[in-house]
Amino acid sequence: MKHIMIIDDSPTIRTSVEYALMGLGYPIANAENGSDALKKIAAIKGKGDDVALCIVDVNMPVMDGITFIGEFRKDDKFTPVLVLTTESEEQKIRAGKEAGASGWIVKPFSNQDMVKVVQRLVK
Amino acid sequence: MIRSESNRFGKTLYILYPGDYFATSANCLLATVTGSCVVVCIHDAARNIGGMGHFILPGAMGTEGIIADDIAKQGIASMEHLMGEMVKQGSSRKSLRAILYGAGVFGSGASAGATSGGNIRFLHEYFSLEKIHVSREDLGGTVRRKIFFCPRTGVSYRKFLKNNNDHSEFMKLENEYISYMFVNKEKCGRIILFD
Ligand SMILES: [Mg+2]
Repeated sequence: MKHIMIIDDSPTIRTSVEYALMGLGYPIANAENGSDALKKIAAIKGKGDDVALCIVDVNMPVMDGITFIGEFRKDDKFTPVLVLTTESEEQKIRAGKEAGASGWIVKPFSNQDMVKVVQRLVK
Repeated sequence: MIRSESNRFGKTLYILYPGDYFATSANCLLATVTGSCVVVCIHDAARNIGGMGHFILPGAMGTEGIIADDIAKQGIASMEHLMGEMVKQGSSRKSLRAILYGAGVFGSGASAGATSGGNIRFLHEYFSLEKIHVSREDLGGTVRRKIFFCPRTGVSYRKFLKNNNDHSEFMKLENEYISYMFVNKEKCGRIILFD
């Protein structure tokens, strides 16, 4: 079974993204920072399941989103990673792309746009 | 936001304008004036970091709660800007508390009251979802407020403004900001796909 992993320090954002993606039928996993996400992804893979997509925030305590992408990409080159953040500076976006992000959405997002982007990335 | 060094407080004073957000661990003061907008002060007592955000939810919220509400998305994004600045200063959500001001009712008609009520409901729901304790709130009413906040100590001071003409420049900026937010209430951020 393939999960969508939502990584954000804000419970409000995690719930909003989960709400937007409800209709897609993917099981949702949550993490509150990059390091928490790496552990949970390892546990999912350890059970023989997989991750279809990670949606990750940038500004989080413990491990930020850009660092997470770099770590995640060390042993997973293909699973799409979508950044969801308030950050819109070109420099940050470039850093995300270089770390291995597949896309970048600046908050606030519309539920329809989120669904479209996710469908395109998991295809 | 403007920064002033020469003031009666003897420390740097940052004056936030409507739509601004700022967080710091410096020994300074943050100040703003609000009518209809909300002012959120956040303090991390474990790390002596504080921040302030000045924003408005552009309209009344529906009854389904902030997760399902399109107007609330704008408020969540405004809070995300402030929380992001707190995180950049080294703060973590676990040791935060919030102080809430503003959401005054100005102008006649039901929409002014509905906007104020929607903003207040938004704040209550947001901080409850975030599990952040609200240690003090002074919201609503037909009063303009001047707010001072010390980001290091978390101490805030609120003064009701008696004479609206004292801050006419601020009120003009607030009205411009509110009009902008209402016109762009469905505004979303950019979407970039890298491939
Ligand atoms: Mg964040």
